[in-house]
Amino acid sequence: MSIPHLNDDELNLAVLGEDLPPEAAEHLAGCLVCVRRRDAFLTTVEMARGADPDETTRARVRERALAAWGATHRRHWVRWLAAAAAVVVLSLLPLLRGRAPAPQIINADAVMVEVDQMLDRDPLSAVAAEEIVDMVVPVSAESGERSVS
Amino acid sequence: MASVARRETALRREDERELVEAARRGDRDAAETLLELHELVVFRTCRRLLPAGEDVEAAVQETLLRALKNLGRFTGEGSFSAWVVAIAVNLCRDRLRRKRLVPFLPLEVRDENGADPLAGVPSSDPSPERVAMARQAVQRLRSEVSLLPQRQREVFALRFFVGLDLEGIATALGVDVGTVKTHLHRAVKRVRVAVEEARP
Repeated sequence: MSIPHLNDDELNLAVLGEDLPPEAAEHLAGCLVCVRRRDAFLTTVEMARGADPDETTRARVRERALAAWGATHRRHWVRWLAAAAAVVVLSLLPLLRGRAPAPQIINADAVMVEVDQMLDRDPLSAVAAEEIVDMVVPVSAESGERSVS
Repeated sequence: MASVARRETALRREDERELVEAARRGDRDAAETLLELHELVVFRTCRRLLPAGEDVEAAVQETLLRALKNLGRFTGEGSFSAWVVAIAVNLCRDRLRRKRLVPFLPLEVRDENGADPLAGVPSSDPSPERVAMARQAVQRLRSEVSLLPQRQREVFALRFFVGLDLEGIATALGVDVGTVKTHLHRAVKRVRVAVEEARP
């Protein structure tokens, strides 16, 4: 009597560690051929996986990632801090404006009175500097006019 | 592979959540502990999803950095490992797409550290013929995995090279467990036949 070995589908289930039909599971428990087929594949997979990186490599990569993260984390807080400062300044702006000195209000009537008084005292010097007055109306000419009149 | 599962179960979910919370607040020690616990799965994922010659260390570093910067998005529903692996898978996909790289596992049996994994395999009959046959089987397996469709390749790598369980793979790839099983069965069927041909 020939022993029915696991078929391909059952062997795949065995390789994946999944539940086999009861007869297949019973067969696998006592069949060296099927066990070796399963184990041979799993051993090949294990060899193909290769060795893991050593601790030095792992530590180097980890440190670089942490350093980069630390930098971005700090930048993150700086951005928040800058945003908070901007909000504070903007909220204080109206208060600062309120404390500014009020613009001086000019009393137009008082100015006009002052101008009139100046013109009454000396009309020419009120509108021009003394040098200009001397140039336009020299002292000699002034005295000549007086002699003519 | 088993050590990953052990470390995962050893660290209770509550402890993990506390670590995540502390790291999110900027606690460097908590962040470092998180990375120590989960960096290995990231190394394995990047090494097996990126083609030989790609800068695996840079990819791992970028994955870890993205994980730390996006801790706020970790909901805690799945395992942290699966969440980090999801970031690694997306990063590898991006790199492959950007550079239009053809993914493949190196045919060379020697691993990245220069060690021959076959040297450590116990054998009752270490004859040169058996060693050569085993080497050939490993090469055939890697070659066959590289030829799998993308989703099957990812599922196979995450299951056998990274050591995630079905739920973890489903979380990492954003699909349901049934889909993972389907891809896994197809991948195993194809790869196992190829390996048995190479290792009669």
